[in-house]
Formats: sequence, structure tokens, C-alpha cells
Amino acid sequence: MRRSSHANPLAVFLLHVVVISGALITVLPLLWMAYSSFKTTAEIFRYPPWLPPETWSFHNYASLLEGYTYDSWYGNSLLFAGAQTLLTLFFCSLAGFAFAKYTFKGKNILFGLLISSTLIPFQLMLIPLFIEMSQIGWVNTPYAMVLPWVAPAFGIFLMRQFALAVPTELLEAARLDGASEFRSYLQVVLPILRPGLAALGIWTFLSSWNSYIWPLMILRGDVNLTLPVGVAGMEAQAAGSATPFGEIMAAATLMSVPVIVVFVFVQRYFIAGLTAGAVKF
Amino acid sequence: MASTTVAEPIATQSRSRFSRYGCAPYVFISPFFLLFGLFFLFPSLSALILGLFRWNGIGEITWVGLANYERIFNDSVFWQAAGNTLTYTAASVFIIMPLALVLAVLLNAKTLRFATVWRAMYFTPVVVSTVATSLVFQILLNENSGLVNAPLIALGFDPIDWLGDRAFVKTALIMVIGWRSLGLLTIYFLAGLQSIPGELYEAAEIDGAGTIQRFFNVTVPLLRPIILFVSIIVMLQAIQVFDEPRILTEGGPANASLSIVQYLYERGFERLRFGFASSVGTVLFAVVFVISFIQLRFFGTFGEDEGS
Repeated sequence: MRRSSHANPLAVFLLHVVVISGALITVLPLLWMAYSSFKTTAEIFRYPPWLPPETWSFHNYASLLEGYTYDSWYGNSLLFAGAQTLLTLFFCSLAGFAFAKYTFKGKNILFGLLISSTLIPFQLMLIPLFIEMSQIGWVNTPYAMVLPWVAPAFGIFLMRQFALAVPTELLEAARLDGASEFRSYLQVVLPILRPGLAALGIWTFLSSWNSYIWPLMILRGDVNLTLPVGVAGMEAQAAGSATPFGEIMAAATLMSVPVIVVFVFVQRYFIAGLTAGAVKF
Repeated sequence: MASTTVAEPIATQSRSRFSRYGCAPYVFISPFFLLFGLFFLFPSLSALILGLFRWNGIGEITWVGLANYERIFNDSVFWQAAGNTLTYTAASVFIIMPLALVLAVLLNAKTLRFATVWRAMYFTPVVVSTVATSLVFQILLNENSGLVNAPLIALGFDPIDWLGDRAFVKTALIMVIGWRSLGLLTIYFLAGLQSIPGELYEAAEIDGAGTIQRFFNVTVPLLRPIILFVSIIVMLQAIQVFDEPRILTEGGPANASLSIVQYLYERGFERLRFGFASSVGTVLFAVVFVISFIQLRFFGTFGEDEGS
């Protein structure tokens, strides 16, 4: 604070120029996405690119909803991301609580197993997991989309970190009152975990909403796709004919805007979760 | 009477044999470990074994020993993909990460107004689908009408074919990957910077240290653990790049932008060479393992190991 009083005004000005122009450049592609969604494909590839569309209209959005099963992709993405988030929060908070507040036999070995699993890139298991899914008969089902991802080691670490802050006396008091262990989890632990749950929930929802390679492998048939697979497919399908970039930009905008809006409101939790889970000070 | 006095200690003993609270902790961790074992450990271990076989998913499984690995290491496309991935990784560590550090220092400056707004703007690309952003960059990087080339065209230079020219395609992808990950890395650095006591800077200032000197003599040494931590996160991310080259270039032109994970997916999964794909996965695993191992040795798991 005191430093600002004798800060060099030119340096302060330059600082703002650099930071603000960088910030504008960073969001420009996203604004461009929305801007292009109002142009025809021909207008998108016209020079100079900043010329506005001849007529401002939602025609790309209309033909997106007409020509593609975009609403199904949206519904599928919401369903998978929602289910994955709820299950992840439940399993991770329950297990994270157990690791933080109980001593039990085998705890260190099991925790070590989790630690070592972070050394495994998920691409290693991609093919065997696909084979496993096809053996169970789960290819192209919500189970294959959701269940393999609801027990992430990262989530359990995060939950354990937040659960360490639960006062042991509170748990003892609940026990004296005759509460079962699960009841203490629900009534004592979960409320204290709330910021952690928010962080993990946002993170899980986002990673499911944006995931690409696994749904690309597991989903079949146009109406069953998720947004990233469906939208990426709009480009690939068009091989030969002109790629419908106007509609693609409309599709990309519609799938990004809600995420950005939500992020603006919950960024505090999101960033807190990132740094709490990742960096110790 | 006698039976209760005998039963009582046995009951408490069996309760305490595993834990004071009976089976509760085991019940709490069991759904997690069940799913973890079924959908993570089992397929991961299977990959190591499947890499020794040839299998297209329906026909018979043939033992081929190390033949898959021989084929990988004799495949020039694999080496191309490995080289490309190495380029992405090196650029992430030596260009994107230092940029993020400088940006974090700027965003942390006390004289900066509305810092939270700018910070949020830098972070936004992190939350948006890479599929969506890759499709926008296809427009922005277009040779004749893209916004990136517009200044060149306006000044009378030849436009650059970012996505179709072997000489530029990796640069283009590094820009896109950097744009996507800069905000995330900045957040890590910012968190680290906020843990540095302000008095250190004041002391350095009294000693006559300028901005640049303070950066190299106070900030960088104190952030060393975080710099190392972020460098490993960055490397792991870069090694696993898939979405951007897949959508922007399909690995082209002539595999000049093909990544290792793309190689695994396209040469293995799409051509139903499941054994081969698993052996590529194993090679990737070996590389990631070494890097992650360094991370764990230096920083503990996710930077944290108290209480265990």
C-alpha cells in the first residue's frame, strides 16, 4: 500500500497497458467466437475479417437447431456432467473424510496406492477400459460415460485436505449423542466441507462438460453424442462440401457461454480448490 | 452371564482389530476403491499386459512378445509424433511458463487497479472447451482472412499458412496451447506470490534493488518450489495434448503436428490395433511416470503430505 504513494506514474501506466492489452487479447478469441456466430460462413472468411455481418440475425442458431440434434447433445452433456459431479462429490467426500478423521488398518497402504495412481496417465488405460466397457456391454451407455470417472484420486486428496479441518471434538460429541458414523458425515462433516465440495464440483462438472477423447470413443449415433463430440463432428462430417462454420460458431458459443457465466460467479471457489489441492504454503 | 462376559471382550476386540469405529471407515472408502479398482487399476494393469499381444477386439488374441514395441520404435511416424510432443513440451516449459510467471508478478502488483477483473479474463480460456476454442482458432489462423494474419496482409506482407505449412504449424499449436494454459499457470504462481511476505520486497527496495533485481533476487528464489511444481504440471499437460492438433490440423501437414496421444488414438484405436495401442500407452506411461516421480520426490503428493 505504502509503495503506491511513491510509485513511478509512468511505470504504473505501462503496467496497466501491458496487463489490460494482454487480457483483451486473451478474451478476444472467445468474443470472436460469438461475433462470428452472427455471420454467414462466407462472411467469416471474408477479408478484412473485422467487417460486421450484412444483417445481424440468429440464422446460424436457427439452422443449428434445425439441421443438427444439438439439443440432444446439450441434454446429454448436462446429464453426464451432472451425474458425474454428484457421484464424484459423494464418493470422494466420504472417502476423503475417512482418510482424514479415522485411523484404521491399511490406511497408509491404501493412501499410498492412491498416491502412486497419480503417476498413471489416463491414456494408458484408455484402450483396455474401452475393451472392458464393450465386454460388459456398456459401449454407448451413460454408465460408461460416468462411472469410470467418479473416483478420481485428485478428488479424494482435495476432500481429505478440507476434512482435516473438521474438529475431532465435534465428531466425538455427535458420537456421544448416539449419532451413527454416517449420520455425523451427513450432519457434521458435509457442511464443513462445503467450500471443498464447491471447488471439486465445479472442477468435475467442467472436466466432464469439456471432455472429448473418451466420449469420442464410447458414444455412437448422432442423438447420443455430447457437445464436444457433436460439434467437432460438424466439421469432420462436412468433408467435401463447405464446412458450416457459421453454425459451428453458434454451437461453440452456446456451449461456452453458460460455462463462462457460471465461472464468473464461482471463480473464488474454483481457484481456491485449484490452489488448495495443488500447492502447499 | 458367563457367556456375556466372554462375548464382551471378543466384541470389543474384533471392533478394535481394524479400527476404533468398527467397519465405518472401510464402508466409507469402499465405493471409491471399488470404482477405482474396476475402472482404473484393472485397465491400467491390463494395458501393460495387452501391449504384449496382437488383438483387434474380436478375433483371437495372439502373443507377440515385444513385437509391438519393436514396431513402435521402428515407425518413423512415432518418432515424428514424439518429436512434435517434445517441441510442445519444451515450448510450454521455456516459453509459456516464464510468461505466466511474469504475468503473475504483474497481476500481483499493488499499484494495479481492478486486478481481479484482469485475472478472471486471463483465466477464462481454461474453463472453455478445447473443442470450441480449437474451432475458433481455425478461423483466426486462416491464411487469407484470419485475424492473426490481418496485420501482415495490411502491411503488404505475404500471409502465413499457419495450419498448412510445416514450418509454422507447430508454432501455431504452441500459441493455441499457450493461450489455453497461461491463465491456469498464472493462478498457481499468484497463489505462490501471495505467500511471499511484503517486508522482503520493502527490505530489497531499501537496499536499492530495482524492479528487475527484485524479481530475480527475491521472487524467483522464493518461488522455486512452485516453479518446479508448475513446470511438471506443464510438462504432463503438454505430453497429453490431443484435442488441438486433432481438430486444428488432424496432425498434418504430413504429421508435422501429430502428438503422441493422437498417434495412440489414430494408429491404435481407430485401426483396431488394441495391443499396439496399449504398448504406445505403456511407453507414454513410462515417460509420464519418470516425470511424476520427480514431482512426488520433490513436492510430496499434490504438494502436501501432512498427517499421513
